Amino acid sequence: MSILDRFVSGWREFRKDGYYEEFDYAWTMTIDLDRCTGCGACVTACQAENNIPIVGESAIDKGREMQWIRIERYWEGEYPNAKLNFIPMLCQQCDAAPCETVCPVTATYHNQDGLNAQVYNRCIGTRSCAVYCPYTVRYFNFTDHHWDAPLEQQLNPDVTVREKGVMEKCTFCVQRIRQAKDHAKDDGRRRVRDGEVQPACVQSCPSEAMIFGDRKDASSRVSKSMNDERAYRVLGELNTRPSVIYLKKVDADAD
Amino acid sequence: MANVDRREFLRLVGAGGVGAGAGFMLAESIKHPVEYLIPYPVPPEEFSPGIATWYNSVCGMCPAGCGISVRTREGRAKKIEGNPLHPVNQGRLCALGQAGLQVLYNPDRLTGPMIQNGERGDDAFVKATWEDGLSRTAERLAAARRDGIYVLSQGVRGHLANLFELFMGELGSDRLLHYDFAHPHPLYAANKRFFGEHQLPYYDIRNTRYLLSFGADYLTNWLSPVHHSLGFGHSRQGNDSSSNDGVRGRFVQIEPRMSISGAAADEWIPARPGTEGFLALGIAHHIVADGRYAGDDASLWRTALAGWSSGRVAGLTGVSEGTISRLAREFARAEPGLAIGGGAAGNHTNGVDTLVAVNALNYLVGNIGKAGGVVFNPDPVTGGSAIDRQANYRTMQNLIENARDGNIDVLIVNNTNPAFTLPRASGFREALAAIPTIVSLSSFMDETTLMADVLLPSHTYLEAWGDDMPQPGVGFPVGAISQPVVAPLYNSRSTGDIILGLVGKLGFNEAIPWTSMEDFLKDGWREIYERGSREPGDFDSFWRDVLVSGVWGENARRGGSVVIAPGVIEGMAVSAPRFSGESGEYPFILHAYLSTAMYDGRGANLPWMQELPDPMTSIVYGTWVEMNPATANEMGLADGDLVRVTSEKGSIEAPVVLFPAIMPDVVAMPIGQGHDALGRYARNRGANPIEILAPETESASGNLATSATRVALVATGRRAAPVKTGGESRQLGRGIVQSTGSRSAPAGHSAKLNSIPIIVESAVVESA
Amino acid sequence: MQTEEQQLQFTDIHNDVVRSLVVTGRGYYITLGCAIFVLLTCFFFPWFYQLYYGIGAAGMNSPTVWGTYLASFIFWIGLSHSGTLLSCVLHITNSQWRKAMYRSAEAMTLFSLMVAAMMVMVHLGRPWFIHWSVPYPNQMELWPNFRSPLLFDVMAITTYLTGSSIFIYMGSIPDFAAVRDRTTGWRHHLYTLLSLGWRGTDTEWHRLGWAYTFLAVLIIPLAVSVHSIVSWDFAMSIVPGLHQTIFAPYFVVGAIYSGTAGIVTVMFVLRKYMNFEQYITKLHFDNLGKLLLVLSLLWSYINILELFTGWYSGTSTEYEQLKYKLFGYYAPLYWEMILFCGVAPLLLISNKFRTSFVPMLVLSIAINIGMYTERFLIIATTLSRQYLPESWRVYVPSLVELSIIVGSVAMFVTLFLLFVKIFPSVSIYEVKETMKIPKKKGMPEWQATH
Repeated sequence: MSILDRFVSGWREFRKDGYYEEFDYAWTMTIDLDRCTGCGACVTACQAENNIPIVGESAIDKGREMQWIRIERYWEGEYPNAKLNFIPMLCQQCDAAPCETVCPVTATYHNQDGLNAQVYNRCIGTRSCAVYCPYTVRYFNFTDHHWDAPLEQQLNPDVTVREKGVMEKCTFCVQRIRQAKDHAKDDGRRRVRDGEVQPACVQSCPSEAMIFGDRKDASSRVSKSMNDERAYRVLGELNTRPSVIYLKKVDADAD
Repeated sequence: MANVDRREFLRLVGAGGVGAGAGFMLAESIKHPVEYLIPYPVPPEEFSPGIATWYNSVCGMCPAGCGISVRTREGRAKKIEGNPLHPVNQGRLCALGQAGLQVLYNPDRLTGPMIQNGERGDDAFVKATWEDGLSRTAERLAAARRDGIYVLSQGVRGHLANLFELFMGELGSDRLLHYDFAHPHPLYAANKRFFGEHQLPYYDIRNTRYLLSFGADYLTNWLSPVHHSLGFGHSRQGNDSSSNDGVRGRFVQIEPRMSISGAAADEWIPARPGTEGFLALGIAHHIVADGRYAGDDASLWRTALAGWSSGRVAGLTGVSEGTISRLAREFARAEPGLAIGGGAAGNHTNGVDTLVAVNALNYLVGNIGKAGGVVFNPDPVTGGSAIDRQANYRTMQNLIENARDGNIDVLIVNNTNPAFTLPRASGFREALAAIPTIVSLSSFMDETTLMADVLLPSHTYLEAWGDDMPQPGVGFPVGAISQPVVAPLYNSRSTGDIILGLVGKLGFNEAIPWTSMEDFLKDGWREIYERGSREPGDFDSFWRDVLVSGVWGENARRGGSVVIAPGVIEGMAVSAPRFSGESGEYPFILHAYLSTAMYDGRGANLPWMQELPDPMTSIVYGTWVEMNPATANEMGLADGDLVRVTSEKGSIEAPVVLFPAIMPDVVAMPIGQGHDALGRYARNRGANPIEILAPETESASGNLATSATRVALVATGRRAAPVKTGGESRQLGRGIVQSTGSRSAPAGHSAKLNSIPIIVESAVVESA
Repeated sequence: MQTEEQQLQFTDIHNDVVRSLVVTGRGYYITLGCAIFVLLTCFFFPWFYQLYYGIGAAGMNSPTVWGTYLASFIFWIGLSHSGTLLSCVLHITNSQWRKAMYRSAEAMTLFSLMVAAMMVMVHLGRPWFIHWSVPYPNQMELWPNFRSPLLFDVMAITTYLTGSSIFIYMGSIPDFAAVRDRTTGWRHHLYTLLSLGWRGTDTEWHRLGWAYTFLAVLIIPLAVSVHSIVSWDFAMSIVPGLHQTIFAPYFVVGAIYSGTAGIVTVMFVLRKYMNFEQYITKLHFDNLGKLLLVLSLLWSYINILELFTGWYSGTSTEYEQLKYKLFGYYAPLYWEMILFCGVAPLLLISNKFRTSFVPMLVLSIAINIGMYTERFLIIATTLSRQYLPESWRVYVPSLVELSIIVGSVAMFVTLFLLFVKIFPSVSIYEVKETMKIPKKKGMPEWQATH
């Protein structure tokens, strides 16, 4: 093919409807707000799995906490009819991610699993992705971090320890997904089975509020869960097409 | 360009070279020091580099006894997960359990035996050998009076509890005390009084349709929080039409300050502190009066509950009559409904009465022994005597008095910290001064250990052999073995091995012939194995199976009919709660509560737990006082003002936090901070509300009534805004957390307002 | 004595300009020394500390990850529009009064761009990889992300910098030649090199005029697009308060506004300290003042528009932005900005004010302070109040940041001071075009006019 033909066919490929949605997998998570108790097990599990640094009190005082998944709390009403709602907020792995368009060096991109991947060693630290993210789920390493010995013995060797100047965020425990895919390949299977891979948060949640899986597999738990009548997306009106779907809390006294 | 002559040229090159050299030096100094990766010359057998090895064990962070699976790489523990096969937690784990890794790898662990070289309480310990430490201890034990030997341990179960009993038996002392701050003494006592039961029952939250919780923060740390969370999740949304008729469970929480169980509940009902028992009786009265109870003893009940009309109860509790009758109606209709109690409600001077009344509710709706109700537990296969060793406040007061009177010669402390978890008014710290020999087996230098003379540090639970039978059980016998997941980091020894070491020194080997905890454990499990009348020779594969699966169980349920103890119905009454301090001088009731992260203070030296934002307030690294906003407004207090909280027995300082879901005359403080020892993360941070609690006790159980202290708040004029991770905690109409009507209601308008359809490609799923 | 003065003025210009280049008083050295000192201590030292410690040395946090560095960046890019405006726009409209000032204004452009580029370096978390934002073939087989407005920035600013450099250099060639002919020693060598052998023939003048106009026409849309692109760093996000179509005009207007104010400041300094009183007169200040007034009114209009659309939208997010700007933590800064950029410039309505030098200086500095505040507020107020209320934070710049702001001004001053000693800071040949041809002594008036 001539260069022009190659260009035209490549262009046509790229501009095809649904190109961006032809993933190998489409990892999705549903979080049932009627089951979430706000206990924070997911937060600590994530910290343990992903070598999240302990930033210390003064850093948190400045507003520099490091929690790839955080529990947000919203009060409603006043005493004695006050209600508190919890919502775990993590990177929504948006299919139309605002953060991906703005990184000047493509340190964040959409990978073939439908995940929004962050490449630490490409990041030059412009922090525009954090500005563009409407969910504020991207966290920047404002300093190098330090673990008092021997706490660093606990660090997970499958996950990079990030240096200062680099942006990080939830990856849906991509190291676990990689491993599961490798195992599937070793076993001669083409696909990862439903439930075979769970991010640390999903695995730890004591009330089983989180379900994780591949929405391309119509029989997976997550496919059923995301089509529940209670399903919605946070800030869905922004059309970022998140892969994290929340199930509405049930207000039993509402009707 | 002007000609550059040779001299110029060399000068320029030289300057450039120096510049480059300087730059290089600067860069090198900023870089991290070079580290080398060298493979093992002779690699150990147990691991392959790059491949994780998983070990099952038992979590030791709280008394729930969840099963864990620990991922290790190259001999280091990397991640703790729940063991999917363990019936208590079924693969899930709470935040504190995850932080067990930071107990193992904590920088402030005691690394080996130490001997106090200065005055008692000085941090002037010097290193010693095990030989030295054990000999010294054995000497003192041999020289002590029989009744002068006290062993004060955290609650231990399973075979370690047996070992302790054997040891005490040989020492000739009966003074073995298990002291846990959060041990539910009132619940045990109420259970005993109402059912005559020694064990706590299993509360089947999973299958209930209506949970009425009187102060029990079952999602945080009441009994078995992970198990209850599982149950909660299932009862809420785990039921499809095939089970429980697809009915979503309803949860009602009665407490003066909203906990996360209160936030998760469909209804949070603030009742005056100490009146929860009245409320329970009021509901019981309605159930009986409305004719919803059809048992043989109905007339007895009617008589007993006659005086608890909703009018009277409403006046006492502050809960409206309509609510009381509605709760009664809903609870009785639920089939099954379940009532639980504990926490703040149990820790009043009428706590046992209250929990007996709660038991009455369960009895009246007939859920005893049924799914979704109260299921009695069989005795644990071993270590069951441990229950009787649990020391309540009265027992501890006896210990303190004995110490003061000079009746204690040797005190051995094992991983419990009464210097922190007893109120100052108890005089525990001062009493320690009168004890000639204090030996501590704790892994950390906590406040009590600081007062010891000899330190014999024990392994953390991830390095030691042991076992656990969870209390309360799950309705059938369950046991799990706790095995070392890594080689011990330091020169510590497991608690069992320390006891056996003392056994050796004291010459008790005839009665206690084992030389290691592992042997003792194995022999003990041989007996369990033989219960099932299996082939004696196959124990090794049985042992292996138990270790690999991480759990053992027996299908043995408690049968029999429900019998309540005689006289219980007639004696059904709840006394008025007593508080220390007059309401004029001390206008607020102090509600000191346990959090997941700190628990009874043990989480304070774990950085993950210090950084875990409190679920209700998002505060980290501190202590605070929660106040009703209207009350704070009246007193002119703003969020972040530092106040002095004073009881009759002491005072502490903490910043004010405005909290929408707390009663106007109640203030709440989290327990766990305010350490003056226990390591760098815990020390000199926050305040300990336990310090200022008044020593009010519940007469029947001797339990410390932690909710019975009145306090006064005085502004100090200073500010100390707590560090929060949260910003503005109101949604402002942005629809972030959305809710919908109950599941069974037909959808009015589309619940899919924000949905954007994602193309779901159906792929062929290969069956493996 | 008008005729006498006029008679001497052509040579005067030469002499004055050459004198400004060659004669250096002690005051100059002291000022330069101070500027370099401040540059080293307030810019480079804190910056190196930040490279060592991490961006944590600044006051930024999550979610206000952008702060004064980016505000400075935009501010300096904004200032760079001064040269473009004066040099190119006014050239095309054939205004005569720009001729004395445009050289220095163009220099301002160049140096502002350089300072802005430095601010980007300071802003980055890992500035040693900044070259990855440049499309060059590499072994990683990675190109930068062309969809990113930040990359548009890189392209646009590089182009603008290149264009402005060529523009100022090219326009100075005849002046270099003029100075070459009047200097000796190393200066003579330097200007010989720089003047590229200019002989002043008709062909050369024709080509210069044509090329100059061509570039002038080219640079105008370039400048407009540069600052529009810089505004799209913000406007292409979906952050409430940033995601507005008004941003491109807002930023361009703001840039020209602050640039013009910057010119007033520089003109005052040049006039006073380089002895250019005869070239930079009340007329220039009067015209600049009128320009400032127009721009100030435009700027106020756009601000009112922003407030209006924020209120009109009725959404919680936009409304919260509005409330926060006006009454929130940064409200004092907001009202200061309104005062300095919206209210104070109304003084320019008065003729007397426009033609008084010191008041104009004070006002121009005030406007620039207000414009810096505006850039800062755009970042601080919007990032502090995004969609999820639990993520609302306040951002307070740290000492390192404030010091770097001061240092960046020192950098600009240093570069400018060096400029006035190397480039002729007033355009000799263009100023000559504004004056009458000198008469010989004793020539009657009617013969002298041309």
